[in-house]
Amino acid sequence: MTVDNKIRVLVSKIGLDGHDKGAMLIASILRDAGMEVIYTGLRRTPTQCVNTALQEDVDVIGLSILSGSHLTLVLKVIELMKAKGVDDKKLIVGGVIPDEDIPKLKDMGVDAVFTQSSTYLEMIDYIKKATGKEDAST
Amino acid sequence: MSVSPGEYPFVAGRHAIPAIAALWGRGKVYGAGKVIKQGFGYSGCGTVEDLRDFYLGEGAGLTMRGPNLAFDLPTQIGLDSDDPRSEGEVGKVGVCMDSLKDFETLYEIFQGDRDLDKISSNWTINGTTNLILAMYIALAEKRNIPISSLKGTPQNDILKEFVARGTQMFPVDASMRMTRDTITFCTEYMPKMNTISISGFHMREAGATRVQAIAFTFANAIAYFQTAIDAGLDVDQFAGRTTFLNFGGGMELLKEAAARRAARKVWAKIMRDRLNSKKPKNWIYKETGGALAGYWTCTKQRPLNNWMRVGLGAAFSALIGDPPALVPPFDEPLGLGHSPEADQLSADAARIIMEECKLSDVQDVFAGSYYIESLTSRYEKEIFDLIDRIDEMGGATKVAENGWMKKEIARSAFEFEKKMETGENIRVGINKYTEADEIEIIPKLTSMYHSIDTAKAEQKQLDKLKKLKQERDNKKVQSCLEKIENAARDDKVNLIPFFVEAVKEYTTMGEICNTLKKVFGDAMDN
Amino acid sequence: MELVEKILNGDIASAARLITMIENNREDAARIIKKIFYHTGNAYIIGVTGSPGVGKSSLVSDMINVFRKRGDTVGVIAVDSSSPFSGGALLGDRIRMQDHEVDPEGVFMRSMATRGNLGGLSSATRDVCYVMDAMGRDVIIIETVGVGQVELDIVNMAYTSIVVIAPGMGDSIQAIKAGIMEIGDIFVINKADHEGVDAALSDMEYMLHIGADKKEWHPEIFKTVATENKGIVELVEGIDKHRKYLEDNGLKSKKFYSMEQLIDLIKKRIEKRILDNKLGKDNIKKHINSILKKEIDPYTVADMILDDAGL
Repeated sequence: MTVDNKIRVLVSKIGLDGHDKGAMLIASILRDAGMEVIYTGLRRTPTQCVNTALQEDVDVIGLSILSGSHLTLVLKVIELMKAKGVDDKKLIVGGVIPDEDIPKLKDMGVDAVFTQSSTYLEMIDYIKKATGKEDAST
Repeated sequence: MSVSPGEYPFVAGRHAIPAIAALWGRGKVYGAGKVIKQGFGYSGCGTVEDLRDFYLGEGAGLTMRGPNLAFDLPTQIGLDSDDPRSEGEVGKVGVCMDSLKDFETLYEIFQGDRDLDKISSNWTINGTTNLILAMYIALAEKRNIPISSLKGTPQNDILKEFVARGTQMFPVDASMRMTRDTITFCTEYMPKMNTISISGFHMREAGATRVQAIAFTFANAIAYFQTAIDAGLDVDQFAGRTTFLNFGGGMELLKEAAARRAARKVWAKIMRDRLNSKKPKNWIYKETGGALAGYWTCTKQRPLNNWMRVGLGAAFSALIGDPPALVPPFDEPLGLGHSPEADQLSADAARIIMEECKLSDVQDVFAGSYYIESLTSRYEKEIFDLIDRIDEMGGATKVAENGWMKKEIARSAFEFEKKMETGENIRVGINKYTEADEIEIIPKLTSMYHSIDTAKAEQKQLDKLKKLKQERDNKKVQSCLEKIENAARDDKVNLIPFFVEAVKEYTTMGEICNTLKKVFGDAMDN
Repeated sequence: MELVEKILNGDIASAARLITMIENNREDAARIIKKIFYHTGNAYIIGVTGSPGVGKSSLVSDMINVFRKRGDTVGVIAVDSSSPFSGGALLGDRIRMQDHEVDPEGVFMRSMATRGNLGGLSSATRDVCYVMDAMGRDVIIIETVGVGQVELDIVNMAYTSIVVIAPGMGDSIQAIKAGIMEIGDIFVINKADHEGVDAALSDMEYMLHIGADKKEWHPEIFKTVATENKGIVELVEGIDKHRKYLEDNGLKSKKFYSMEQLIDLIKKRIEKRILDNKLGKDNIKKHINSILKKEIDPYTVADMILDDAGL
């Protein structure tokens, strides 16, 4: 049995928005791309989300938000990530995000934003490059 | 089998005369202009004060026949604004409503010749429908307006929330009891109030195939109707006060058209043969129209293409005798709320379809086409087969709660996306025609709610709520909550009168819902 | 070593990182486990198994509540299967355990994928137990994939193995076929508010009755409704009773390490030493080519490799 550096991704919905089609789809698609996806289900608080990322030692935290509350909630997540010392993990945000908010999110410390205009392949590529685990097994 | 419009099983449409005229009356459609324009007025944002002032100013055209309200997520799932889980969400996707106080403020603008007995209110609300109705009743009673004269439509379609939208609060049995309460209460005391607007739209948007969307919608409808029948009503007592929102749609418009025609047949058969309706009027599938092309088909890239997509959908709606409403406006995927510019183009396109092209002058132009008729028959069979399967599994309430419907839809969504990846499904500007020589076209738009600062709305709402909780008679509030808790324990009791009493004392939505959750359990995060 | 210290002090981030190293089969993980092993043996390990859909996650979540109420800290290892095609996995057990996400000091939960192991558990599970044990967790609950036939690993790892079934799923029959009746120290009929409870109960009682005289421990059957938190306290009392039985008869310390575990570990180490360190992918490919050309037979190749390794 050889060294097996699987990419681990947390896919979480924070806030009250209940549309989980996108989050579930992304979870399935990342699984099919060979990643281990921890899916939390609906309505996690930023605290739950960061605690999960810590325990699961994921490489990437993916947040799905469609209710327009992204600026408030993402800021909370980032503050908690710093407080818990997990801000080395990549943070990506997906959902309905107006273009004008993308630079704001990146200034806060979000590594990448994916909206309806992104393709899944772009996301998979990004994650593989950002985690430095492009070639999953050696 | 070829059938004329207005004949069972209504495959060619519901009326012998063109649908548009029947639904709205020509004068209303063009004369008022703004009825089609601006998405039927569906609006809501910030605090009630923000929204009231918006309706008094630039949003005045939205409320001609009464408000069509969007609520924020805390209101939709029965959380007060001061609940920690509401942080960041107050006033975001709709207006915030914590108590009757907010309701009173918003409806200040509906008085005199636009008082509650003269307008019709539309509430896009599901789990908390009976609380919103209770507030409407309380407000009417305060204004000495008989509640029998109240008109309105709540969405109140809780099963699809379990499946696709996630705003359910209670386990399915308790949720269905709430639906039963709406139907039985309204049938007895508010005969002009629609009780439910059943929707396949959200399931389709979540990835359901067209057959799944229609079959699941009808399975849900059967469950609601059966609940009311089991409560002792005759189907024809309440069926006239239920509507269907729509089934959503997709870009393969010939198939969409055939599926709608099939849906009309299926519903007519269900009503006549399964639910034993005696009134042919009630066998007709009534859809509020539009969205034949879907929302999910719209792209953020080159967003004006959406106008073409939705416009074609609207044209096909006209061709099968439905209203050619262009929803959504093309800027939907930009996530900024619909701009007046996009609304203008939607309205104009509908006018062009009707007045220049006259596509609404014939009811069902496809009748007799081999392709459409055979597809219609195929869909009819597939829809019935799927409904049969749901029956075998214990009905819609069962498969909505245990996640079966959701899983089936997720699988369809996944299969669709796989086909997008392989290029079997095409979306222009997304997975084809994306080379560097294609030009991105971004129109300049103004935000519909540019005057409302949603960032400040949350704090304003919290201040108001704090003040309210200090000023009201908290002893009375407690006693109302105790009564609700006791009443909730007896499944036979209709809770709406208890809600009316409680909201009059300014008991908040969150307080009432938390009390109910003590008895029913909490299904919010399932 | 700093990481070891931190783990022994219960630091979650360090433990989480070590678990990743273990899952990735890194050699430095083995070096750390060698050190923390001497601090293990205090946690009580419980295994929960049963077919998909019987409500294992909800049941585990409820059990955690009972343990937390009496002050025990809990570690949870939730195992789900990896996709045989992509190697990826969708780990969703947290959906039912969200209440504990706000109690990170009390409940440390880790989702794991089987990564090709057929035994219903990841081969790293044993080592992850050591980590949670060394961190000072009082109770460790392992929730298995639940694919029926291959759940037997759990017996070698847990002190108390719980088999969960739900009425009306044909589970009892399946369980009997799969030989799962033999592995349970405790049986749970979850969703006991559903139809078919009595049938499931009598099926189980009958099966347990067969061969019961050969055993000293007589498994108890509990009825629960995990979604309503019913029957859980009784279940945990049942676990306590089994624990006491093991302790009174000196069986607990024996169960901590079995011959199967050592053999399993030796196999893993041989594999790692020879395949990873000595042989390498390129060499294996060369051998395969020779075998395909019938220049040599596979047994000779295997013996040759082992001879080279001095085995």
